[in-house]
Amino acid sequence: MEVQELRKRFGAVTAVDGLSFAAADGQITGLLGENGAGKTTTLAMIGGVLKPDTGSIRIDGTDEQGSLNQRRRLGALLDHTGLYTRLTARENIRYFGALHGLRDLDERVSRTLTLLGMDALADRRTGGFSQGERMKVALARAVVHGPSNLMLDEPTNGLDISSVRALREWLKDMRDRGICILFSSHVLEEVRALCDRIVVLSKGRVVAHGTADAICRDTGCESLEDAFVRLTAREALTQ
Amino acid sequence: MTDPSLIIARKEIVDHLRDGRSLMAGALYTLMGPLITMVVSFSGQVGGKPAFLLSLMSVFALVSTFTGGMAVAMDITAGERERRSLVPLLLTPITTRQLVLGKWLAICAFALGAVAVNIAGVAAVMALRAPGSFAANGVPLASWVLLGLAPLACFAAALLLLASAACRTTKEATNWLTFVVFVPMLVGMFLVFYRVSGNGWLTLPVVGQQLIVLRALGGAPAPLIYGVSLALVTAAATVPALAGAATVLNRDQVVAG
Repeated sequence: MEVQELRKRFGAVTAVDGLSFAAADGQITGLLGENGAGKTTTLAMIGGVLKPDTGSIRIDGTDEQGSLNQRRRLGALLDHTGLYTRLTARENIRYFGALHGLRDLDERVSRTLTLLGMDALADRRTGGFSQGERMKVALARAVVHGPSNLMLDEPTNGLDISSVRALREWLKDMRDRGICILFSSHVLEEVRALCDRIVVLSKGRVVAHGTADAICRDTGCESLEDAFVRLTAREALTQ
Repeated sequence: MTDPSLIIARKEIVDHLRDGRSLMAGALYTLMGPLITMVVSFSGQVGGKPAFLLSLMSVFALVSTFTGGMAVAMDITAGERERRSLVPLLLTPITTRQLVLGKWLAICAFALGAVAVNIAGVAAVMALRAPGSFAANGVPLASWVLLGLAPLACFAAALLLLASAACRTTKEATNWLTFVVFVPMLVGMFLVFYRVSGNGWLTLPVVGQQLIVLRALGGAPAPLIYGVSLALVTAAATVPALAGAATVLNRDQVVAG
């Protein structure tokens, strides 16, 4: 995934201001930023649900921003799980698989349920699910069509420790299969533990990118937290 | 089933058939007209006037074209935004046109179902309180249902979709959709008690549906061409409402709050 000079304004507010970065296949790229830094807006533009004012987005070499072709290559979990509570886990996932036009739909849904360890939950309505269970269904829904790119917006929000750990392992497994994963969070430990590369955002701009060690080295800080604070404070001063 | 619109419509229908409370409330709303008319029919003044009873029920039938799909319309647009399930749907490889069409088909199914239940209620009341009168008006009543109410239910579904698509929450949608439902109630009641002359009104959606049945009950049915014209005008009016809903769902605010 490659974005170039992405800009987006909502009225007088500039949410994303000339953002450029790339996320490679077989890597987890973390979008790190404070609340309001532009992470969700950026992911929504890559997913094609928001139109950028300017800039370009390339996914697997195609730059038809927001096209159906690009959306077929993407799996995404943005903002909230957003499940249909009167449908079972299987029905929720099946619905999205059908909208992706999968031919071997039932087999793909069953395989995805097994992959996420959800066989026991598959035929229960999602209305009574815990936050962790809902997140699993939402993840299954995002990957049922076998996308080559995956975007996750703060997927660990509200999850307990064991669910977070399970999610991390699952994401590493997806990465090892060659999938390009773009992961947004404002939790530093999480980004450090999971991401191969980090893109630090502040006020809609990229203020640093690279590995966690490289960002610490470049800013002269010992911890990622200190580096993050220094980078965002510097950006606030320049504005 | 591979067409995205049909996949969406099927899912919405299955989903809402499981909402027992909403279905029960919808059925009560739909049968309210026949039930009220049944009570009124025991009055000595109107009990023996089948045409009056039918004209009273026709107002409720008109209203049922709007109320039948109201709960579904709110849930699958404003409700979808509220529970944040719209964004995942917009991330799938479907066009906004397919999305709107699928949701509209689902609302139509419930609106047409409500009309069918309402007409069954009307027939039951007439069978009990004025036997033979429903059959005696069979042809004009059938053309009223097929050329008047059925296209109106589909038009109402599009209007409800448009209005609720613009709302952020089901609470907000409830407020706006109440106004939308008020229109056929007002028009229907007005036309029962006030005579409107001129055939031009017969081709105006909502007004035409009520005039056609009232004229038939008054013994001067409108020529069939007016029923056909009304059906075509109502169907044509559905298109801009659906286009409007698609435009609303394409706006940034739908995703960004």
